Amino acid sequence: MDERDPSVVARARDGDRDAFRMLVETHSRYIYSLAHRMTGNAQDAEDVVQEAWLKAHKQLSRFEARADFRTWMHRITVNCSIDLIRARRHREDAHDPMDLEQGPLSERGAEAQPTPERVAASTQISDRVNEALSLLTALERAAFTLRHVEGMSIEEVGAKLGMKTSATKHSIFRAVKKMRAALEPYAQT
Amino acid sequence: MNNHLTDDELILHSYGEIDRADRARVDAHLAECAQCQVAKENLARVMTMIDTAPPVEAPAGFERIAWARVQQALDSDGGLVRRSATRGGGIRSFFWFPQWALAGGVAALLVAAFWAGRISGGDPATPSPAAGIVADIEPERVLQATVGDHLDRSEMMLVELANAETDGADVLAGEQERAVDLVAANRLIRQSALQSGDAQIVDILEDLERVLLEIANAPATVTSNDLTDLQSRITREDLLFRLRVIASEMRQQQRTDRATDGPNLRRTPRS
Repeated sequence: MDERDPSVVARARDGDRDAFRMLVETHSRYIYSLAHRMTGNAQDAEDVVQEAWLKAHKQLSRFEARADFRTWMHRITVNCSIDLIRARRHREDAHDPMDLEQGPLSERGAEAQPTPERVAASTQISDRVNEALSLLTALERAAFTLRHVEGMSIEEVGAKLGMKTSATKHSIFRAVKKMRAALEPYAQT
Repeated sequence: MNNHLTDDELILHSYGEIDRADRARVDAHLAECAQCQVAKENLARVMTMIDTAPPVEAPAGFERIAWARVQQALDSDGGLVRRSATRGGGIRSFFWFPQWALAGGVAALLVAAFWAGRISGGDPATPSPAAGIVADIEPERVLQATVGDHLDRSEMMLVELANAETDGADVLAGEQERAVDLVAANRLIRQSALQSGDAQIVDILEDLERVLLEIANAPATVTSNDLTDLQSRITREDLLFRLRVIASEMRQQQRTDRATDGPNLRRTPRS
């Protein structure tokens, strides 16, 4: 069974568990990377992947056969990530302990500490960028990712995150400034 | 040249989102100002660095793990299987561990509830809401509420300290009694989590306890340096963030449980 075969999606839609499994196993790594970029940590990314697949399973009947399945899953994953971030938003708004005066990146939490696997698996640039991304609050990260990576306008980002445009702008400004402060020394070389 | 572009304007410009009314001014300034051109180029280099960074890869074998979790969730009627399914720990396993309620968990729970009531500062003669719920309780729910309260109170204290002015020598004075109570509650909850084998929760509670002990045992008047050290420890260990995540997940879990089962915490009058 070839996972690129459109009939795999059709069979999954008809309730074929093996076909759905093939879709999950084929696309989960991509979805994980996307979810990790949105949420900023492995545990949330895993939960988002699961939630995205459960949602996809429920909505498969609505999937247009001519559409690209990965693109469809991409959209679902972004929405699941946003749901998770929005659910936590009110708590994060109460206080943001992560500001630029917090000290060197090497002193940040476990997520920012490169594990041997990470060092082996990723380039130095990737590590630097991920460390810098870990400085952002969940909301800043989501706003920045939607604007910078997903290419949404600030207004669209605000609508997605349930924020006013001015608040969205400020989240993006803060995110970019943190990223710039962390990465500028490396970007010069 | 005066009136250089602000960082915000440079960011909006890089995204092509400068307001129409400002566009001509910003473009004209950028065309003439070498300093702002350099700032713009530096920003562009950072953006390029971000764009070219490869994404975080899923761990080896993740596709199989993902399927195992999805399959389990589908088989359990669509219910979300949390991290415990793959990591053997996490919020759900802590609160869904049946032995919790059976093997001495209830006793610990009620003691924890007692502490929660005490910490809330209520009149000891007045039954606290937690104390009023003595019959028909579902230990899992009470436990969730109690642990949630504990995490909230701990977080509140840490937020206050993290934001305190470092020149306030008596900043810890009002917190130490609270810290002592929180340490006691924390130990009970941590012991229970330890028994249920939830390494993730235990890990966070251990970190929290160290900080709480530091606060509880600090001299009444601390130096500015001591306070700065404490603040740095709170932020360095991402303790606040980790507490928030756990508390948030617990609330989500409580909402899910309520939605699934309906309310089953009944208040009974004390005789």
